[in-house]
Parts: sequence; structure tokens; C-alpha cells
Amino acid sequence: MNTMNKKNYLADSTVNSIVKIEKITAGQKARRFLADLGVLEGVKLRIIKNDLGPILIEVKATRVAIGRGIATKIEVTG
Amino acid sequence: MRRSRFNQGKRRYKRKHYRGKPQGGKPHSKRILASPDSDHTIEHRIAFLGNPNVGKSSIFNILTGSHQHIGNWPGKTVEKKEGHFLLSDEYFSLVDLPGTYSLSAHSEEEIITRQFVVEEKPDLVCAIVDATRLERTSYIALQALELTENIALIVNMMDLAEKENIQIDRQKLEEQLGIPVLLVSAFDNSCIIRIKKFLYDALHTEKYTFTPAYLLYSQKLETMINSVSRQIEDRKILKDYPTRWLSIKVLEADKWVISKLEEEYVLDDMFNKIEKLKKSENFDPADEIPKRKFRALKGIVKKSCIGYDDFKEKLSDKIDKVVMHKFWGYPILILIYAAFFLITFYASGPIINGLDYLLTSFSEIVRGWLGAVNSPIFLTSLIVDGVLSGIGAVLLFIPIIVIFYILVALMEDSGYLARSAYLMDNVLGKFGLQGTAFLSMIMGLGCNVTGIMATRTIKSERDRLSMILTNSFLPCAARLGVIAFLTGIFFEPWIAAMLMLALYAMSFLLVFLSAMFLKLFLGKSETMPLIIEIPEYRLPRLKNIFHLTWERAGIFVKKAGTFIFIASIVIWFMSNIPYGVDSEYTIAGYIGRGLAYVTEPLFGFDWKMVVPLLFGIPAKEVVISALSILYYIPGSSIVATLRAAWTIPQAISFLVFQLTYAPCFATLASIRSETKSWKMTAVGFFYPLIVTSLITVVVYYSLLPFF
Repeated sequence: MNTMNKKNYLADSTVNSIVKIEKITAGQKARRFLADLGVLEGVKLRIIKNDLGPILIEVKATRVAIGRGIATKIEVTG
Repeated sequence: MRRSRFNQGKRRYKRKHYRGKPQGGKPHSKRILASPDSDHTIEHRIAFLGNPNVGKSSIFNILTGSHQHIGNWPGKTVEKKEGHFLLSDEYFSLVDLPGTYSLSAHSEEEIITRQFVVEEKPDLVCAIVDATRLERTSYIALQALELTENIALIVNMMDLAEKENIQIDRQKLEEQLGIPVLLVSAFDNSCIIRIKKFLYDALHTEKYTFTPAYLLYSQKLETMINSVSRQIEDRKILKDYPTRWLSIKVLEADKWVISKLEEEYVLDDMFNKIEKLKKSENFDPADEIPKRKFRALKGIVKKSCIGYDDFKEKLSDKIDKVVMHKFWGYPILILIYAAFFLITFYASGPIINGLDYLLTSFSEIVRGWLGAVNSPIFLTSLIVDGVLSGIGAVLLFIPIIVIFYILVALMEDSGYLARSAYLMDNVLGKFGLQGTAFLSMIMGLGCNVTGIMATRTIKSERDRLSMILTNSFLPCAARLGVIAFLTGIFFEPWIAAMLMLALYAMSFLLVFLSAMFLKLFLGKSETMPLIIEIPEYRLPRLKNIFHLTWERAGIFVKKAGTFIFIASIVIWFMSNIPYGVDSEYTIAGYIGRGLAYVTEPLFGFDWKMVVPLLFGIPAKEVVISALSILYYIPGSSIVATLRAAWTIPQAISFLVFQLTYAPCFATLASIRSETKSWKMTAVGFFYPLIVTSLITVVVYYSLLPFF
């Protein structure tokens, strides 16, 4: 239970964990483009790869690679 | 049967004036089709839209077959694909709209797509989605529902969905969306007729209803939408666009819509209101609208499908653990690309040799014929050494180009190409570039024209421009030919291989460093962070490979081929006039000897080395043939002659110079057409020339003391 509310950034999430996006503070353009790929607030996603370079996530049965810079602007819980 | 129908396509079909959707009219029910004065007046116009990678183009290709035309949208550098098929004596014309993720105004592609849907009023808009990723790929369809009522949905890749135990209830999906739905797999043999029948029925019969679902947003949003709608209801511009859609776009801060509406209205009040909301309640309609759309989609999918097993580790994930590993990913990338080049090189070798033999024999036969009819020697030489060798130069490069692009298509269709872009993002990032730039670089290794076309996928304008300008640094297949030929003459195989590798590394390094350098001049551009979709691994499909190769290799044949052919003839004239004199005293000889005053002290190039490079400016394919003509000594092979004529520093200096010194004319033409600027075209020509000259001087003089 207590882990549920732990605030975190996508960039720091561990591989294979399933997290929910709380807030995206990136610029408008990036936010819009993320939304087109189904990455928006309230959506659950799974982290596939998070080591070097862009972070790879699974969201709505698709895989999306997100640059590290943006991933530090996506707040997640879970 | 089908063939006979297709042949009828040659008959002229009168274009019927299209009944557009009347403003505020009821959703279309049945169209009035037959016109009394002719039996071939019926044309249905259908537009395909959808995400990239949903098989939209595959469906377009199987429906239209060879009846397609690829061009550009007027005034845009976005590809336009049109085609047609016939069914029951009716003409179905199809437009394959660019693959996009949404109908916002992020990119030219998206603006083109929605403008086409609204302003060209196709009889049917067909949204194509992927059954395995139904929710995400339907997002664009949901957006299109707000834009037009004549819309149908094709759910593709049902074969893959079945393998994943996904079940889609077509009827329920139809009820939810209020539009016709078809479930297919584009690789199923029966799919052609099923899709055709579906399109026919959707346009003709009462079988389907068109009552697109009306997406209601939250109360707060609805109030805002209504308030904008009231304000712009009686507008004089954008009359074809639904008022509600425009209002939604205003709230989404769509720049294109807002700038158009502001020609007529002052919308400041609205924006002030939105700003206030953003500040006081942390409520941004631009975030809220897509959120609501996805929420609605989730509901629709939930009610009509089962089996979407979220977050299950798939086979692709297991493969990616190795292939995209932070360390192992790179050796694998190098191995795959090395294999890629070896295969291109060795597989095309025998074909090229065979073709070369045939072409030479054919030329000799023609020479014999012309001799038999007493053709003047001058004319015989023009036909055989000018025209025929020009055709030969194009033909000889087709095998290598085709094999190269088959392999690219294999990597693309299997899903590896996107992954190599992902891996390269780390490397390219150091030079301020995005991983997506890597794809245009790979394409350019076949033919720079294709490479430059591939820069269209780069989102940042500045990055795209620098990739267009530097694509010619990457040795295309023609230059690979020169490199392989010359290194083979002068060096042991293993040194030759190392030298080739070094030359390729130099090309890539030049592109990377130039990107950093050009950035200083190309002005500021907002940096778009990397956000790309990584497709799942899939078994490559023959049909896709065929079409992708056909399109890209076609660019070489059509664009580069024409230039190579013309250049070959011009070169013949330059090297044969005045006719009958020694090559030293021909036009080319004079120019070469003039230039040698500069090139000899700088790079060690005498006039015989300069002339092939001069001829290589329009088309690199002719460098080898020019060398073999100039260094022709009866009774001695070109290999022995060149070995005796050139020193090692000269040979290396020549290899380095020819690698990057100038884009061919076909490449220059595409720099011009993609940038629409003569200034940039000039930069595209002189920048490589200056950079290469500097490098060659350094290379030549640092080698000189050792030999």
C-alpha cells in the first residue's frame, strides 16, 4: 500500500515495473506528441528498458522510446 | 476476369462532379451513382488514413497493384500516393494519405491529411488500424470521426491478433463507432475481394449505416466548445470544416486553425479564459481533450474486444533484451550492418559481372552492325561509346541498388531499422542529432537521392536541413564501386578492406561533425526530444519488401538514371571533340590540364586523374569508365596500367577525394527540390568540395614522406 503513492519520475523507474502517469511537465509540443502516442496523464505503462539512452516503455500494447530528457519530466506513481 | 477489367482502365472515365457533404446535411445515406448519359461515369474517391506501421500502404498496394502513381502533394515535400481499381465497371480511385499519429497540426503530413479529408471531400474516408494495437491506432480514427461522416474502419492484422488470442466483435465495434467496420489481414489471399466488396457496399448499399459516434467531453469542456462554436458559427472562412471540430482545435491550441480563424475573429477573450483556467484550476483543455478521447476509446475497446493482455512480456521483449542491450546492442548493430554490406557487395558482384559481359557483347554486336551499314566512325562511337555506355552505366548499378534496398526493406519490415535508430540515438546525440537521422544516412548509402528523401521523417527542421546537405558525404553504391575497384588494384585484400572501412568511417564522421558545424549557421531550432514508436518484431512479408524496394530503387532509376544517361552522352562529346585527336587535346583534356595546375601541387592529381573526377561531378557512376578510357593502353590491363601510373599517396588521395568531393547532379536536384532554395543547393555543392579539398591536402602531404 505504501508503495502506491510513492512519487517517482519515469527516468528513475525500474525495469518491468508498471507505473501510472501522474503528471507530464514537458513542453507543450512534446506533451502533444506524447499524447498522440497514447502517453498521457492517468495512463498505465510498463518499463521495458531503462539503462542507457532513451527509455523504452509499453503503453496501450505499443512500444515507445522516450528520450531521457523528457522522461525526467514525467511524474509517475506505482 | 480481373485482368480484363483492369484493361478497361485505359478507357476514359468521365469525372463526375462530386456531391460533397452538404453543410449541416444529414449523414449520407445512399449516393446517386449512375449518370444517364454514359455507362462509365461513376468514380468513387476513397482516402486511406492511419498510423505508420498499420499496413495502410500494404492494403493500398494490394488493391491498386500497378495502377498507382507516386508524386508530391502540390508545393509540399510530402509524398502523395494515388491509385485506382475497377469493380463492376465502376472506378474506385484511392489516395493513400501520409501515415500520421493524429490530425493535429504538428507536421505538414497531418495538415495535408485533414485538409484532404475536409476540402477534397472524398466519398469515403477509410481509417486503417492495427488489430493488435487497436486502442492506440484508433485514436486517429476517432479524430477523423469529428471531421467527416463518411468514414469506415478497416481493422488490419487480424491474423496476428488471432495468434495473440485477441477477439474483436465486429458488430459491437460497429455499434460503438456508428460506422462500417471490416476485419481483415492484408496477407490473407481472400482479403482483396473482401476489402473491395466492403468499400463497394459502404458506398452503395444500405447494408451499413453512417452515424458516427458523437464524442461528448466533460461538462466543462463542452461549455467551452459551445462558447467557441457560438462565436465562430457564422464564419466566412473554413466553411467546409465542422464548427465543433474547429472549436475543439481552438481549445487544443491548434496553430493552423487559430491563425486562420484570427483572420476573421479576435479570439483573445477565449485565450484569456483558457489561461485563467490553466492557472486557477490547473486545467488545460489541450491536455484534457486527448485524455477524454483515449478514455472513450478504452471504453469502446473494452466493450467490443477481449484478449488484450496488457503488460505481458512478449517475444519482442525477450529478443530486445539482447538486441537492444546497452552494451551488446552495439556489437550486434555493427555485425548486422557489416553483414548487410558484405551481402550487398558479394551478391551483386556476379550479377554485375554477368550484366557487364552482356552489355559489352551487345555493344560489340551493335558496333558490328553499324560497321556493316557503313556508318561514319564518329556516329558509331557516339552510339556505342556514348549512348549505349550511358544506358550501361545505369543498368550496371541497378543490381547493387536493388539488393541494397531489399536488405533495407528486410530490416525495416522486421522492425530492426527502428531499433538501430534507437541505438544510434546515443551516438548521434553526442553530435546534437537524433536517432531518426540515422535512417536517412543508411538510405543514402544506396543512393543519396533516396537518402535525402528519407530525411522527411526528421522532425526538427534544422536537423533535416543539415542531413540533406551532408547526405552526399555518404558514399552511395556508385562510389562503393569506385572504392572497391581502386582499393582492389592497389592493396592486399585485407588492407583494402581496412581502407574501405576507414573511408566509410570518415564519411560518417564528416556527417556528424558537419551537423555540429552547420548548426552554427542554420539558426536556432527548437530541439524535439526523441519520441518514437518501436514496432514489434515481425516476419518480413514478401509483398512489403517488394513494394518498399520498388519505390526506393525506382527513385534511383528515375531520378539518378536520367542524369547518368545524359551525363554519359555529354562526357562522350567532351572527350571526343575535336574528333580523332589524342585525349590530351580534346575539350576534356584541355579542362583537365588547366585544372591540374591547381590539383597537382595540392592533391597530386595530374590531368588524367582530374578528368574522371570532373566527369564524376554529374554522375559518380562514370568515374571508373572514364579511368579505363583515359588509361587505355592496347595490350595492357587497366589494373597494371593504373598500378604503374599512380603512386600509393596518389591512389589514397584520389580515393579520399572522390569519396566526398561533390554530390551528383541528381542529388543536387533533390537538395533543391527538398529545400526549395538555390542558396542551400549552392551550399550543398560547395561545402563538400571545400571540406574534401582540405582533407585531401592533409592526407596527401602526410602520406608523401612515407612512400
